[in-house]
Amino acid sequence: MVNALLNFAIHRRKWVYWGLLLLTLAFVAQLPKIQIDTDPENMLNANNPERLFHNQAKTTFAMHDTIVVGVVNQHSIYNPQTLAALVDLTEYATGIDGVVQADLMSLANVDNITQAEPGTIRFEWMMKSAPTDLAGAKRIQAQAEKLPLLRNTLVSGDGKAAALYVPIVDKNQSYAIARDLKAHIATLASQDDWHITGLPVAEDRFGYEMFVQMGISAPLAGLTIFLLLWVFFRNVPFILPAMIVAMATVMITMGALIGMGFTVHIMSSMIAIFLMPIAVVDSVHILSEFADRHKPGQQASDTIRQVMGHLFTPMLFTSVTSTVGFLSLMLTPIPPVQVFGAFVGSGIMLAFLLTVIFVPAYLSGLSDKSLSRLLEKLPKEADSKLTPALRTLGKLAGSHAKLWLLGFAALFGLSVYGINMININDNPVRWFKSDHELRIADRVLNEHFAGTYDAFLVLSDTHNVNHKAIQAIANVAEDKQISEETRSWLRQQAEALEHNSNTLPALLLAVDDKSFELSDEYELDQLLAAQSTLEALSSQSKRFLSPSVLDYMSQLQLHLQDSGLVGKSNSLSDVVKTVNRELRSGNQTDFVLPESANGVAQTLLQYQSSHRPQDLWHFVTPDYRQSLIWLQLTSGDNQDMTGVVKLVEDYVQANPLPADMKLDWAGKAYLNVVWQQEMVAGMLDSLIGAFVMVLVMMVVLFRSLAFGILAMLPLTLTISLIYGLIGWIGKDYDMPIAVLSSLTLGLSVDFAIHFIERFRATWAEHKDWQTTLSLMFEEPARAISRNAIVIAMGFTPLLFAPLVPYITVGVFLASIMAISALVTLIMLPSLVSLLRPWLFKA
Amino acid sequence: MMKNAVFLLLSGLSLASPIQAQEARDIVKQAELTAYYAGDDGRSAARMIITDNQGRKQMRQFTILRRDQVDGGAQDMMVFFSQPADVRDTVFRVVKHTDSDDDRWLYLPGLDLVKRISAGDKRTSFVGSHFFYEDVSGRNTELDDFSLLTQNDDHYLLEGKAKDPASVEFSRYEVKIDKASMLPVQIRFFDNQGRQYRQVDALKVENIDGHPTVTHSRVQDLLSGGQTEMQFRFIKYDLGLPEDIFSERSLRTPPRDWLNLRD
Repeated sequence: MVNALLNFAIHRRKWVYWGLLLLTLAFVAQLPKIQIDTDPENMLNANNPERLFHNQAKTTFAMHDTIVVGVVNQHSIYNPQTLAALVDLTEYATGIDGVVQADLMSLANVDNITQAEPGTIRFEWMMKSAPTDLAGAKRIQAQAEKLPLLRNTLVSGDGKAAALYVPIVDKNQSYAIARDLKAHIATLASQDDWHITGLPVAEDRFGYEMFVQMGISAPLAGLTIFLLLWVFFRNVPFILPAMIVAMATVMITMGALIGMGFTVHIMSSMIAIFLMPIAVVDSVHILSEFADRHKPGQQASDTIRQVMGHLFTPMLFTSVTSTVGFLSLMLTPIPPVQVFGAFVGSGIMLAFLLTVIFVPAYLSGLSDKSLSRLLEKLPKEADSKLTPALRTLGKLAGSHAKLWLLGFAALFGLSVYGINMININDNPVRWFKSDHELRIADRVLNEHFAGTYDAFLVLSDTHNVNHKAIQAIANVAEDKQISEETRSWLRQQAEALEHNSNTLPALLLAVDDKSFELSDEYELDQLLAAQSTLEALSSQSKRFLSPSVLDYMSQLQLHLQDSGLVGKSNSLSDVVKTVNRELRSGNQTDFVLPESANGVAQTLLQYQSSHRPQDLWHFVTPDYRQSLIWLQLTSGDNQDMTGVVKLVEDYVQANPLPADMKLDWAGKAYLNVVWQQEMVAGMLDSLIGAFVMVLVMMVVLFRSLAFGILAMLPLTLTISLIYGLIGWIGKDYDMPIAVLSSLTLGLSVDFAIHFIERFRATWAEHKDWQTTLSLMFEEPARAISRNAIVIAMGFTPLLFAPLVPYITVGVFLASIMAISALVTLIMLPSLVSLLRPWLFKA
Repeated sequence: MMKNAVFLLLSGLSLASPIQAQEARDIVKQAELTAYYAGDDGRSAARMIITDNQGRKQMRQFTILRRDQVDGGAQDMMVFFSQPADVRDTVFRVVKHTDSDDDRWLYLPGLDLVKRISAGDKRTSFVGSHFFYEDVSGRNTELDDFSLLTQNDDHYLLEGKAKDPASVEFSRYEVKIDKASMLPVQIRFFDNQGRQYRQVDALKVENIDGHPTVTHSRVQDLLSGGQTEMQFRFIKYDLGLPEDIFSERSLRTPPRDWLNLRD
């Protein structure tokens, strides 16, 4: 197989060149179709039940993606200038195409419900036009602060900030709308501080920063690798094939991803930067060996045959193990992580294939002249700064085996302790650097308001009264004293209700209409009796008009408020109490629920007599069978959201929900928790899966269980060490940290494979312990170190990326590579020297 | 003499002449009489179906009693809710004035509460529907300036603009009046950006006791996509409704005899 491949590569060089060129071009042609995806919701499968519920709730309660504009005045926003600016901006925002005008919320377009004089009630715009004097502004302050739905949502409790909620139809328009708003604010000549934030804006910025990352970090990684290779080999034509393989791999993989219709998500935007260093590793091995073995006068193709015969199997195995590490990410239930794993994994195999075909073809095509010039320029291995350092390391590793292992065991223990301290937490807003304008807006607005992070508690009545209604109708239809015509009509109605082609309220209308058609006294009496039964059932089905249900919601809200975890909550219960207060005395003593369901219904009928009747449907469905409690949180940290979920769980445990009622969560803050939980569990599966597969491969490769286990030990310590460190320093375990585990496994086992492979070969040749050990710290140790350096350095450009997850990945992968190489080079010789009697029985 | 000649000359040149404006106002006045003052009194049973942009429906049923104090002038009106059952016996009382703000009261049986609704904005939703309070009692024609845009054999098309633009949400509206019945059959409202955002249509007109009467109408919210349809049944004019039933007492004790539709 290997020979056939080599023969093809060496004898059909032009085919190889043209083939690679055409293949690359075909995939590059796919790149312009790129589609960026920045929606954190996509961390969950499209058919994830919690995601589906979230979106259903969003539709049901008419929730939109919303841009939040905040205005802050250090003294008070209640002055004519600030309020005029707010009115002006509100007017402007309602006119922007793509804004959901009906649901836009600002002090300038909400209603005030007041008692104009004793015994009267008044609905009027809170601030149709801005007040002209300070007294007018103070009046607005007094009114706004009296309405619980506004306080700390539209205006801050400290009077220093106001917010404008701009719901948009399509979040892809968020950038354009935010830009228009910003431009208009600039024309207001306002002295106040204005902030624009909100999830759609954040997502949009995120997409932009992703492009920046791909446009800067990936080419920078290419340049870094190129410079490193030049330092190693000092000859541009010689390192060219490695660079060509890396570039082609990246472009083909990205082309395939885009061409197959996958969107580019935060994870897949890192594919280029992952593939680049990994793709050159095999080439580095070939080039190193080739430079070592090639003697002037020799045929380049002969040398390459020798080199490949030697390297093919270890290269295949290291590529396969790395691939397994990445493919294991497909075991996580997070689609973007799966896509990332699948494409990096396949990319590594592609890089291997390209390397074993293209590099031999290229090298065998070099003329004798350029080859000998190249070999002259090569830096002498003895001059390398690595050489003495590695020799010292080798001596240290071999001499104090027991001490080293004791040290490693201690480190492992500390790491396990550290892992137990790991804090699982994430917050997509924190993916921006802390000085980013969105982070600043986030901080400022959450200081003043009850919170810009939303979670929704959705309560649903599960009791369906329709079968009782059907029974009531059917009973009348049985009555033989009633005419056949009327009975048949009744049967039709019952059937329509049974097959859900009609609703109870619609049935009530039909029965009412029918009652005017009937002339027979007896029939009319029967029908009217049925009508009152149906009415009773209909009223009974409107659970969220029931004062006891509303009171349960209030008590739950109170409990949440007292916990301090929730900034504020808004519910139907608050709406009812507010209107009831204004219908009665207007005093806080009347901020209570009416005593009957009819009282609640009539209170709400009044609420609907405002300028914004549709606002009611954000809190309850028109059939009054589902209701939403809107929680405002000042922190979007998953940890805090998890705390709130637990709080509600405990409360419901101690205070059971009203009968036939269920409670569900929705809202972005909650969805983040869902995908994080799935990710933590999924990552463990992925890590275990990768570990087992790699272990099996090692056993097969070395045809020895002992060596197989030996190969897994350095990376086990490395991974434990890294995660232990995360626990010790208190860095949150978030998405980028989570994905590192299994791919680290795939990458760092390479060092062990090379070390053990070469150790066994050297031992077989020399049969002398000391010689083998010192030889291992010559060329093999140098090759391992170089690879570690190439990969580690290849990731460092991520440090200049604009988003925190990229930086995290860069820092950790670079340190993982360094630690992993070091641990391999020290731990394996110590272990081998201790276990020599078992390992080398023969 | 000279002064008058100059006045005539000038008015002849001007496009929106006072004579035209007067003609437009006459048309509007006549339409108002037809739509809101048929007979000396009247009763009808109304059913409102409110549909939101998700197709979810809400229903309201109520009986309206009306009595004119002066034809084209002050009017008494009472609205008695019968459906849904949880708002049954809620009553809304209006005394309409043409020279001052209307007086409005409300009775909520579930709270055992009679409230006066303070004079103020009447362009708020009527019980959650897409109709405004003002649409039910009739917008005072004195609040707007009118001009005749066009006319054909069947219709007049007039434009209305509020005399006080700050008091309303529209910048202008166009009303189409049927020449035969003199009923407004369509009104289209435009906002400050010139977008049409609201439309009222008379979907069905019937002749009842010699009075052309809208028996089915619809308001559409063109921006959000919701709409309300209102149907009127059991319409009767000139029942001889006594003056004393239009009183505060009737809020808590509805005049059952006058509300019974089954006779």
